[in-house]
Amino acid sequence: MADKSNDPVAMWQNMIGEMEKGFNSFANQTMSSPEFSKVMNQVGGVAAGAQKQLGELMEKYLVSMNLPSRAQMVGMAERLQSIEGQLNEIKAMLTQMSKASGVPAGGALGTPMPPRTKRPPSAEGEQK
Amino acid sequence: MNAPQGLDLASISDRVQTEVQRAIQRSIKGVEYFSTSGPTLGLTPKDVLISRGTMNLYHYRPLADEIYRVPILIVMATTNRGYILDMVPGQSFIEFLLKRGYDVYMLDWSAPKPEEKSLGMEDYVLNFIPESIRCVQEDSGIDDVTVIGYCFGGVLSLLYGSIFHDGPMKNLICFTTPIDFREMKLFSNFSDRRYFDVDRLVDSVGNMPPELILQSFEMLRPASRAASQVQLWENIWNDEFVKSYRMFDRWATDTLPLAGEYFRTITKDLMWDNKLFNDTMTVGGRPAQLDKIKVPILHAVAEHDHIVPYDAAKHLIQKVSSTDKEEVILKGGHVSLVAGPNAVRRLWPKLDSWLGGRSI
Repeated sequence: MADKSNDPVAMWQNMIGEMEKGFNSFANQTMSSPEFSKVMNQVGGVAAGAQKQLGELMEKYLVSMNLPSRAQMVGMAERLQSIEGQLNEIKAMLTQMSKASGVPAGGALGTPMPPRTKRPPSAEGEQK
Repeated sequence: MNAPQGLDLASISDRVQTEVQRAIQRSIKGVEYFSTSGPTLGLTPKDVLISRGTMNLYHYRPLADEIYRVPILIVMATTNRGYILDMVPGQSFIEFLLKRGYDVYMLDWSAPKPEEKSLGMEDYVLNFIPESIRCVQEDSGIDDVTVIGYCFGGVLSLLYGSIFHDGPMKNLICFTTPIDFREMKLFSNFSDRRYFDVDRLVDSVGNMPPELILQSFEMLRPASRAASQVQLWENIWNDEFVKSYRMFDRWATDTLPLAGEYFRTITKDLMWDNKLFNDTMTVGGRPAQLDKIKVPILHAVAEHDHIVPYDAAKHLIQKVSSTDKEEVILKGGHVSLVAGPNAVRRLWPKLDSWLGGRSI
């Protein structure tokens, strides 16, 4: 196998790795300063406000274009989730009914659970 | 003419040939990469026991003929999806546990809806976890439950365990769980109370947008995303590498929003006042001190964790009153500790050997 110090691919990979470490370390030092926090939060606050305003404008634009807004899509998603929720409730009720009718406890309908008798391998003298 | 010392011309020729073949493969696989989706994740068969708003409780179907008496409830971190613990067959922590004979439940989270912005820490600790535990007890017919919490799921499990210290929790396992939030230095600086107006942010946006959460994670290692893309291009000829890259990349970018009030409490009580570490934490008016926890506890931390550094996690074992307690420091980072080849070799077998004897 070629010596790694002469292998241009290994050298390239090593260089990328070192650059990543160096940049991360430099950035972490910079980001640890209170000045960074101040600037980041000022910019972030302005951006959050602008994003909110843009969202409101976009909503009005979509209404004028007769297109569903995000809120309406979220509403539809919620209705679907509610239907899924009701299906899950029915499934849970069926599980309870099957248990009540004598089928052993189990996640899958009608599938019996294995016995809860397992011991750790070392206690049984088995090899791990 | 002789080759310079240390240079083997035959192997250089092989290397050049390999690189040319890889360059061709890169072009072919590169097209494939963009025209296909990644592997489907989280496919271990399960039943949904609760699905309400942000809360989901799953029960995984057993894969062994005989199981341990005590079931496990995994509490997932609220910022990310639970499928990190159920990637693909052979790389699924859930599948591993099932095959080793554990009965596994998971409390996983969906994105909180806009009207769930008022969910607070008390909803998670005093309602969601206790309700899940009750459901596990009813479903399994067993009173004892082992709780496993990953990252912030560990914080929630600790708060639950310290409040319900006489409850049904038989064992507690935490993965990379922060206790001293001052030691999460960059997060601490990003949320400096002099400059970060959490009230204004929560009042204006409601739930914390996932983009902001992802951005704050990525800022911890700003060069890593670009470097990982270079690495992907270099290894795009390697199907296994690409599969693994896609799984982790999809999970890492699939960040969840955080409920507004919950985020406000995390910022004020944990990031600013460090109440969990200072033993002054309360949830819904109920004191939550770690020294109330007396059950057997295992804390697994990663040597190179850039999200929860060791200094932020190391106090847990000292602070609990349990006599049966262990901290294990394993090679890896915040995610590779629990998923991927590193976890398969290190954490999973360690956890099995610790938990088996305590699950009977």
